[in-house]
Amino acid sequence: MNFSIGLRDLLLVSPMIAMFILSLIPLTVKVLRGNQEQNSYVTLTQGLLGIVAAVVLVAVFGGAGKTAFNNSLIFDGITQLISIIALVSTGVAMIMMYENPATTGKQFSELIFLTMSSAVGMLILVAAVDLLMVFIGLEMMSLALYLMIAMSHEEKLSKEAALKYFILGSFASAIFLYGVAFIFGSTGGTNILGFMEKAPELIQTSRIFLFGISFVILGFCFKVSITPFHAWTPDVYQGAPTPHTAFMATAVKAVSFAAFLRVIATKSLIGSEHLFDILQWLAVITMIVGNTAAILQNNLKRTIAYSSVAHSGYLLVGVITAGISDSGVFGASSVIFYLIGYSLMTLGAFAIASMLERSEDHIVNIDDLAGLAKQRPMLALCLTVFLLSLAGIPPTVGFFGKFYLFNAAIGEGLLWLAIWGVLNSVVAVYYYLRPIVVMYMKDGDAQISNRSLNATTAVVVVMAAAIILMGVFSGPFFSIVERSLL
Amino acid sequence: MILSTLVFLPLLFAFIVLIWPNLKTVRHLALGLSIAEFIVSLGMLENFNPQSASLQFVEKFNWIERFGIQYFFGVDGISLWLVLLTTFLTPVIILASWSSISEKLKGFHICLFILQTAMLGTFLAMDAVFFYAFWELSLVPMYFMIGIWGGARRIYATVKFFIFTMAGSVLMLVAIVYMMYLTQEATGHMSASLLEFYKLKIPFVGGTFFSVQTLLFFAFALAFAIKVPAFPVHTWLPDAHVEAPTPGSVILAGVMLKMGTYGFMRWVIPLFPEASEYWAWLFMLIGTVGIIYGALVAMVQPDVKKLVAYSSVSHMGYILVGLFAFNAYGFSGGLFQMLSHGISTGALFILIGMIYERTHSREISKYGGLAGVLPIFTIFFFIITLSSIAVPMTNGFVGEFLILIGTFKAQPAFAYFAVSGVVLGAVYMLWMFKRVFFGAQGELVRDEKHPLKDLNAREIAVLVPMVAMVFIMGLAPNYFLNYSKASIDNLVNSKNGYSLTLTENAQSILDFVPGNAPSGASDGSANVSKITPEQGDN
Repeated sequence: MNFSIGLRDLLLVSPMIAMFILSLIPLTVKVLRGNQEQNSYVTLTQGLLGIVAAVVLVAVFGGAGKTAFNNSLIFDGITQLISIIALVSTGVAMIMMYENPATTGKQFSELIFLTMSSAVGMLILVAAVDLLMVFIGLEMMSLALYLMIAMSHEEKLSKEAALKYFILGSFASAIFLYGVAFIFGSTGGTNILGFMEKAPELIQTSRIFLFGISFVILGFCFKVSITPFHAWTPDVYQGAPTPHTAFMATAVKAVSFAAFLRVIATKSLIGSEHLFDILQWLAVITMIVGNTAAILQNNLKRTIAYSSVAHSGYLLVGVITAGISDSGVFGASSVIFYLIGYSLMTLGAFAIASMLERSEDHIVNIDDLAGLAKQRPMLALCLTVFLLSLAGIPPTVGFFGKFYLFNAAIGEGLLWLAIWGVLNSVVAVYYYLRPIVVMYMKDGDAQISNRSLNATTAVVVVMAAAIILMGVFSGPFFSIVERSLL
Repeated sequence: MILSTLVFLPLLFAFIVLIWPNLKTVRHLALGLSIAEFIVSLGMLENFNPQSASLQFVEKFNWIERFGIQYFFGVDGISLWLVLLTTFLTPVIILASWSSISEKLKGFHICLFILQTAMLGTFLAMDAVFFYAFWELSLVPMYFMIGIWGGARRIYATVKFFIFTMAGSVLMLVAIVYMMYLTQEATGHMSASLLEFYKLKIPFVGGTFFSVQTLLFFAFALAFAIKVPAFPVHTWLPDAHVEAPTPGSVILAGVMLKMGTYGFMRWVIPLFPEASEYWAWLFMLIGTVGIIYGALVAMVQPDVKKLVAYSSVSHMGYILVGLFAFNAYGFSGGLFQMLSHGISTGALFILIGMIYERTHSREISKYGGLAGVLPIFTIFFFIITLSSIAVPMTNGFVGEFLILIGTFKAQPAFAYFAVSGVVLGAVYMLWMFKRVFFGAQGELVRDEKHPLKDLNAREIAVLVPMVAMVFIMGLAPNYFLNYSKASIDNLVNSKNGYSLTLTENAQSILDFVPGNAPSGASDGSANVSKITPEQGDN
């Protein structure tokens, strides 16, 4: 085997290198200052610098279908777009961490370091085509996250959430690794590109391979919270500090779906009728469970957590579409476009939840929003935009995301999944309208946190505007996504 | 550019209201802006060519090229009057809400203007996805309008309204996407243009529910039937109407319900001619049941506003029956009834709002003998009552009469029952009128502490245009019908091979954009060459 590492390979992974090196700055500074926390503002700037550097490098060097390190990393359109989604979400989450009572202040440097390490893991995960590389990325991302959640200043729920996430996450990783072992056993390799060609045949002839690929998919189902593997989601999302929740619900989910798309691109679904059927049912059940459970919630974060489970269901429809279509580009690009929109609106919703938290153990219920429209009309309007976009009302990006997703599904003959999807989005309207009802139509004195919230507010306003603009001009955006995947 | 101006001007107005610094003059500003909008729409009417059945003032650009979705506006005889109804009612509503809406003034007028954009867009969009975007968008401002300025049970009513309507329309979205794929199969490139949809020959098998055309037909029809609202999916309407503030009720009854019947006329019947014909009995039936049921339920309502709400169910039933008669009488009657219902029910809600402002009650039993106390109010109310029960010379008569002629020609069995609605309508309206305005003075009327004041100049100014329209439409219906005659004849004569042509008038030359206009032109000429042999067959 040839281990020579060329400059080209290094340039391709330069975003990860840059991100990692810059992530060390806040930590090193803290050590040099004798364990004295530097000004959080400076730490945040250093973190954002890393994000910007990584985004630029991803945009410059990624996206031509090149592979690096003996075909174990691939840099194509999916890598590029999802990396950018993940990095931007990370940046927004960092800004939220800067102003959230549960995360700011002491140990902020460590937090930024961990966030950036997690993002490095994500970049690896997105680019990985070797299942072992996928595993490395997955673990790097998750380990940093477990620590981040446990580090919260809040004492009870976050510790429980961290432990739960750790145990279930490890469980999922184990299942994934178990599947990888079986795949290695049947194909003699772990590189997806290696067995991609013969996978549809292999899955019919080799039970071991079918077993392996099913377990790998199952592992992803855990990560993206597909029912019945979603049970950790609401607890962890609620218990974790809100910025971390936003980070998990967007960046982590986006990269997990990217890895999911890589595995599904092996056309295993075409080979195995059963796997295809099971995934379709999982998508339907996920939508139903996510939406009906969200109706029953009173806690704002828990509601959005269940809504994110439901959105995983919609996204799975797109993943399935990508898995059975000949080129898979339309399905995959609809998933990516949906992820862009979904990340914007979910980040926005969590950002507003974060702004309402006045202390690190403050639990925000939906009823606490009463009167927000009067106190903070701008924030109420932004939350309305996010919720209507999550509900899929035109002309927001949420509507067009769903439109492309179900359009792709109908194009591949999955009409019934599309019908389930739209019916579920009607159910979802009920709980998305509830916060709006409370904000605008009930009297109350909603208090937002009395700390300075300028950065988060600015981000929220920009995202709300982006949601509407990307909705109205969704055509060109979608074409860009689709062209970059070709 | 006139249609884009018409649709997006209110959006600009909403923005102006938002940044307007002086809260005291917001009402004046909004009134002025809405009148400007009305004048723009009159300008469109002036340039409209009534002889032509084709789409006029067409604007066509690519919006989402990947799926052939276009920014596509056009107006013809079917949508023309609905557009004018919308622009006419908005200033009236603003003037009518002068004193009843006192909180969150800016928000209210912003909602109103966004709603106006959404409604005009729904009537003018000729691309399925573009249409759907406006259709759904219209829910949001209405939702806020009922939810913020509504009555006691407003939240229940507004959520019910939103979910009911949304539930109906999502399946339409699936049907639209499915039809986009059908155009791809038929022509090789995907398109969401309504004109391309018209060209589709969708296979129809009678006797089974599971044929493509039938399923698509029901997906569309459900969305529109809920909006109309047809029996038995009408239950959101009484709640929404009763809880909505007066201006909300007027818009809801005056324009939003027409989006449903317009949908039947523009989308369902020409797109799925065989299925429409096959299932006509069903829609005739629910229309007829709606007429009678709505009237009977209206009769026993203790609340005036609820009575009028149920009368809407009854009147909208007529329109449904008229449309599914598939002849020129039915269609033009249906269209005329849409307008006259918009005027007379809108006026009724305004009148009820005026008396509610004075007494804060809508209980019929608390009134009585109002005629002696409020003579001017009584006169106006009586005229509108007559219009609502379709007395000759008022607008209500023309629509109902044409619909009943059409129904007798097409399906006499349903007409026998539908005609009973005329009598029932008179019963519930006149009985209500008697209880409210005559007889012994009710507790609210003789209340010494709160003497009732008759209408002031502003209120008269609100009602005069409405009453004027009642008589103009009643005495000169041909003026209105002539504008839509060509379009309706086209619909009747070529129902099974319906297509619309684009007018190549000065307007579309002005809009010439390299790359877009030529494709529009070739569309039009292809339609012309296609329709001629089919008409010959008929």
